[in-house]
Amino acid sequence: MPVTTHGAGTRIANELASCGVRLVASLPDNWLTDVIDAVNRDDRFIHIPVNREESAIALCSGAYMGALGSAALMGASGLMTVIYAVTKINYTYEIPILLMATLRGAAGDHHKHHVANGLYLLRVLEAINMPYAIIDKPDEISLISRFYRQTRTVSRAMSVLFTRDLLKGTRA
Amino acid sequence: MNYVECFRTIARHRTDELVVTSAGNSSQAWWEVTRDSEASFYLDASMSLSTMFASGLALARPEQKVWAFMGDGAFCMNPGTLMVEREMNLPNLTHFLVSNRVYGATSNAGLPNFQNNDYAATARSMGLDHIFEFRNIEEIERNFVALRAANRPGHTFVVLEVEPFSDAEQKLEQPPFDGPELKYRFGRHLERRAGCDIFGYRT
Repeated sequence: MPVTTHGAGTRIANELASCGVRLVASLPDNWLTDVIDAVNRDDRFIHIPVNREESAIALCSGAYMGALGSAALMGASGLMTVIYAVTKINYTYEIPILLMATLRGAAGDHHKHHVANGLYLLRVLEAINMPYAIIDKPDEISLISRFYRQTRTVSRAMSVLFTRDLLKGTRA
Repeated sequence: MNYVECFRTIARHRTDELVVTSAGNSSQAWWEVTRDSEASFYLDASMSLSTMFASGLALARPEQKVWAFMGDGAFCMNPGTLMVEREMNLPNLTHFLVSNRVYGATSNAGLPNFQNNDYAATARSMGLDHIFEFRNIEEIERNFVALRAANRPGHTFVVLEVEPFSDAEQKLEQPPFDGPELKYRFGRHLERRAGCDIFGYRT
């Protein structure tokens, strides 16, 4: 029987709004359904569902150059696909961006098709020296705004990774 | 039509539009004809992302007009960007698709299905209805007023049918900026122009 973390989506949305994020570009992941719904129905945000994760990177980067706060939301598999876009745009031009993704493939994820993410996602982020934080509990959601502000201070890309326990509740 | 002459003609019609260029040839050509180092963002080697970058910019600054150039090589990598652009419905965005039917930035390497690709039809199939196709300079001159007057719902999509760069044109200078320099040149210009705060320290 799952022990749900009620309102994680709403709490994440509130945290994003608190630090000035207005644009959220997203691609879906089943774990992110509540977050995407919360952002989508909240008129503090402009929510843009995009066609692929690289588009989210470019959209948020362009928004930054227009002084609009933004964040990109995606699954772990999507994060694995954006390495060129992030290193090309955000590293080369030093354009800050906050990426939010699921920590797929970790303990608690029973889907075999996410084994690769479990094996390699964190190692890929470390390989490109992208700072990340794993958010596993509701009281850690405030790390979102801390990381968002830090991206602006250091003009770099950073990521926060949401666990299944946070988004879907812990398994009893 | 000649690629550089096409850009020269478009540049003559430019007033205060912000410009985002794409990989290789469009950056070289725009730099060649404008030497603009402030109101143009040369998003080199962006592999299909220039118009999404421009869309974010246009969304953020609705009072500014934004022109984005993308080669058809880049477009082939990510045509779904048009779906996003259509849904974003940005009247201040003009997407120029520079169709030279090759991967111009990589020595004119072959492009898949280049003889059959119909970019305007592709755009129409995604619901765009403000579409222009130009095959010579005269068509650009004749229609540019209508193109620029397109401040209505939905962005403008322009197909420019050009010849691939010649060997000599491939040697045109690349915009001579490192990434951070370009970011600050463009950003500071926009801060002054729009009165916005892009780089200010945030507490």
